[in-house]
Amino acid sequence: MSKVVGIDLGTTNSLVAYAKDGVPTVIRDRSGDALVPSIVSAAPDGTIYVGREAQRRLLTDAAHTVYSVKRFMGKGLDDVRDEASLLPFRVTGEAGGVVRIGLGDRELPPPDISAFILRDLKRRAEAFFAEQGEVDNEVDRAVITVPAYFNDAQRTATRDAGRIAGLDVMRIINEPTAASLAYGLDKRHTGLIAVYDFGGGTFDISILRVEDGVFQVLATGGDTHLGGDDIDLLLMHRVLAEVGWTQSAERIQEIRKAVIQAKWDLSDGEVAELNGKRFTRAEFDSLIRPIVDRTLEPCRQAIVDAGLEASQIDEVVLVGGSTRIPLVRRLVGELFGRTPHSELNPDEVVALGAAVQADILVTGSRELLLLDVTPLSLGIETLGGVMSKIIMRNSTIPATGSEMFTTGADNQTAVDIHVLQGERELVSDNRSLARFKLRGIPPMPAGLARVQVEFQIDANGILSVKAHELRTDVEQTIEVKPSYGLTDEEVERMLLESFEHAEADFAARLLIEARNEAETVILATEKSMRAPDFADIVRAELPEGQRQRIESALVDLKAVMEGEDRELIHEKTHTLNEATRLLAEVMMNRSVQAALSGRNVNDV
Amino acid sequence: MPSQTTTPTLQVCRDCGGGAPVDAHFCPQCTKILSIGRHGDYFSFLGLARKLNFEPAELEQRFRTLSRQFHPDYFYNATPAERRASLERSSYLNDAYRTLKQPIARVDYLLQLEGFVARSPEEATKQVPPALLEEVFALNEELDEIRDLRASGAPVEEWKARLERARGPIEHKRDVHEAQLQELSARWDALLDARAGIVDRRPVLEALRDRVLERNYINNLLAGIEKELTTSA
Repeated sequence: MSKVVGIDLGTTNSLVAYAKDGVPTVIRDRSGDALVPSIVSAAPDGTIYVGREAQRRLLTDAAHTVYSVKRFMGKGLDDVRDEASLLPFRVTGEAGGVVRIGLGDRELPPPDISAFILRDLKRRAEAFFAEQGEVDNEVDRAVITVPAYFNDAQRTATRDAGRIAGLDVMRIINEPTAASLAYGLDKRHTGLIAVYDFGGGTFDISILRVEDGVFQVLATGGDTHLGGDDIDLLLMHRVLAEVGWTQSAERIQEIRKAVIQAKWDLSDGEVAELNGKRFTRAEFDSLIRPIVDRTLEPCRQAIVDAGLEASQIDEVVLVGGSTRIPLVRRLVGELFGRTPHSELNPDEVVALGAAVQADILVTGSRELLLLDVTPLSLGIETLGGVMSKIIMRNSTIPATGSEMFTTGADNQTAVDIHVLQGERELVSDNRSLARFKLRGIPPMPAGLARVQVEFQIDANGILSVKAHELRTDVEQTIEVKPSYGLTDEEVERMLLESFEHAEADFAARLLIEARNEAETVILATEKSMRAPDFADIVRAELPEGQRQRIESALVDLKAVMEGEDRELIHEKTHTLNEATRLLAEVMMNRSVQAALSGRNVNDV
Repeated sequence: MPSQTTTPTLQVCRDCGGGAPVDAHFCPQCTKILSIGRHGDYFSFLGLARKLNFEPAELEQRFRTLSRQFHPDYFYNATPAERRASLERSSYLNDAYRTLKQPIARVDYLLQLEGFVARSPEEATKQVPPALLEEVFALNEELDEIRDLRASGAPVEEWKARLERARGPIEHKRDVHEAQLQELSARWDALLDARAGIVDRRPVLEALRDRVLERNYINNLLAGIEKELTTSA
């Protein structure tokens, strides 16, 4: 059986988890690292790097490295123009159309960039299952999480990313709800739970009632453009104001790295260093206070929407890296009047929940059930540019709504329909999801046609539309043009292209691993050769000519290391390893003896 | 009015062709989930009598139980027809739950079900219900005076205080309506228990309809005053 996984596709980091017998586990690499930085970089030769390697390239080749792509999912160019200034990569696209991001010499829609991250997670999981000795280690299905406050376009973009990466996206679930599932598992919680999810780029609040194993979301709220990134930006502005605004892309990334470090330091300590100066927790708190305050209003609104008062909430759960900030914990605690929970790793809890949901879908286990809501009202444009709501926000999904349309002119055979999402009165203040043209209405006098349009929001929170004319019972054809999404044909084409690139990507990864290994062995050898007792060892303990063999193996490996031949690098690494084996053993023995006799190895 | 309570309709299982009672969710013959028919209503779908007062906990319990039976999560590996049926049935359940959970929406739905929705919402807000003529007339006069006061440059506190006072009688009217709605709801439930005929039920439904229209109008008036208070602040 092929494998299913749960994926947390985050703004800053992504991770993958799986469940066995209902128990979820995060999948780690050999060094125990679960987080894959959500960063994609293109080398001049077209090779694509993902994760840590891409993160390193931010400091050397920032212009070809993309991060925080999640912020651009399902967005139009007009939505993101303001923030593109400090980003090293190109953000382009047609006005009114989907945004495109420059990666190397290509201009890709955000789902295409996210697909690189998903493919990396897919391979990571497949390597893990292979190591576990699974006969069929292919990962072809996944549950992917999104912020609860993601709109239809953003959810669809996420599903498209999965499809481009060759994954059957079984379900899109909301991050706070996934987190509650992971929390509820071992503890058998019953009652009212608030999940406060403050991540790298997005903020969500969800209020749930948990009873009989049913996790029912009562209300949700949030801001899909508010997160740790904004805190980093504030700090960067502070530094740039001191050092001057015109800096190279790489220098800006260095500053970004430094401010993130300062932010982390202030989660544990009271003082950090920023641009060579003392930076206190108090200064940090007052700087970021407006950002944290922006998370509190959606919390209050969600409590009201759920028909509750803050004091009725039994437990508060913290999710997302930004909840490590002490000020966040304090203000959330004050708002709800209780100390928030944070027993589970806030970075991992969402992926764990996604894995549980994937397991439920595959096994059909009925022990647990998630009942989520749609975060935004769905409606259509009516006369005067006003939005008429058809499905209200916080409705449990799946949900349906219908609206009757008629014709305004005699013998009119088509009607234009504009679908929107949002809470505001005016069409222009809400999100445009799609424009439909209802065709094939039989010719009849104006106002006589009765076209019933049915809107369906599925369990993923994704919309579909069907319509039929009631008088003649004619089924309508609907042309869907997503305002900020990809058409099915585009997704299909990207999927095909990705197959062509997949082979190259995989080879590139193996090459990197071989180079890393070679570098480790070279560094170790050179260190040994610099040791004070090296000459002594060569003379007293190594066979004749061994030193020359080591030196020539070292030169050989250095010569091939920057080449593209992975096998050759492996071979030369092996040779050097063999040549230094005895040397390493002798040095090890000597240092152990020195340690036992209480003397420093350098004094021997 | 066609009464759906006396003649139970059958629905046909698309899978085995067998018949099933209108409010069954699964085919009694082949046990497959039934594609949702055009019959039944929110009350019967949830297995509830068409009453206006019931224990909220009972609705919650039924909602959870039914969700557990046909949520799409449990039909991921099923045939496309079953998956569609599960999606339809879950959607209908969620719509039913949301509607019946809110007392006001519940009354609206019952009236619609019994064929007592007389006027469109637009009409309802424009036309002053006869029972409110007196209050509306007095309020409009007072509002005009307050606007004149504002235009003449009177202090904010003065005209705001008058606006607040103007709200009093309308709020009182709303409370009276709430009590009347409660009383009518209880009478409706009693009639249902007594299996009363349409002759007895009609006056209660008509009264309910009028109270609902008046309540909507009152809420609009209150929203109007609120708007005056906030926009001029």
